[in-house]
Amino acid sequence: MDKLKIRFTEKEDCDYLKKWLSDKDILKWFPMYNEMEIDDAVRIWIAYSKINASLTALINKKPVGSALLYVQSFEKVKHHALFAIIVDSNYRNKGIGTKLINELIILAKEKFELEFLNLEVYAGNPAKRLYDRLGFTSFGMQKKCLKENDGYLDKIFMQKYL
Amino acid sequence: MKDLQIKYSTFSEKEFLEKFLKDPSSNEWFLMKTEKEIESSAFNWINFSKYNASLTGYLDGKPVAFGTLFLMPYKKLSHQSMFYIVVDKDYRKRGIGSDMLKNLINLAKTYFNLECLICEVFENCPIISLLEKQNFKEFAYQKKYIKDEGKYTSRIMFELWIN
Repeated sequence: MDKLKIRFTEKEDCDYLKKWLSDKDILKWFPMYNEMEIDDAVRIWIAYSKINASLTALINKKPVGSALLYVQSFEKVKHHALFAIIVDSNYRNKGIGTKLINELIILAKEKFELEFLNLEVYAGNPAKRLYDRLGFTSFGMQKKCLKENDGYLDKIFMQKYL
Repeated sequence: MKDLQIKYSTFSEKEFLEKFLKDPSSNEWFLMKTEKEIESSAFNWINFSKYNASLTGYLDGKPVAFGTLFLMPYKKLSHQSMFYIVVDKDYRKRGIGSDMLKNLINLAKTYFNLECLICEVFENCPIISLLEKQNFKEFAYQKKYIKDEGKYTSRIMFELWIN
């Protein structure tokens, strides 16, 4: 594989984020539904990039994935954060997700001094296997959390101490 | 509680909500702590009044409690809602919280046609006994979620299916 590089997310990555999220096979694992909701999510993602809380993975200088720490603004919960990750569907199974999360863990520990990371994953998402492998453990499950076309997905809550 | 009047909240009641949230006996059960955090949270909270998703309990002619559905911004999640309740510290232990909760469940069910209510609380929060009385079920428990002056508290998440 061509060399995988990780850098902080930049404002210009927004078109890639939008493109990945607009992929139906990706979007089904996210709460966003239409273009307006996707635009909103991308805006929030880019806003976190301004405090260097988001990373982008590049192959041959082209963005292929991103991972974001939703750094908390309330004092009482600043010791942990939820994160989100997305990988271009044409670049699956190349270790990009693993590399992004490992780098995000370093960022969480060293820059933001977090004690643990949280994630929320919908049941059936293949990314769950990655989270298991990286040592995330489940602390809850919300049944029928996400509703689309009269079908429901359960949401699994996971965490990992750093 | 028989004298409690429940009305839709209005934005002009923000100062009451802010006052309740600033009281340490309420504040210990909420995420916000600094003055700035409380003011921005009270603003977001009372803003749900524009969707008729917030109820105010009146007693002696003034607001004594708020109960509000924090409606979900995403369509795929909009069959459920989180909610928060706060009662003025001088009017506790007389069933106001319980009345607010029952009215909020009813609002969610009949007006918003929601399927599920979610409540996220700190461990030992007094609202837990009210939730259990209304048949809410725990679905997540996370240790150390709160860290306040070096002391950790768990969070518990409850759900109630209503439609």
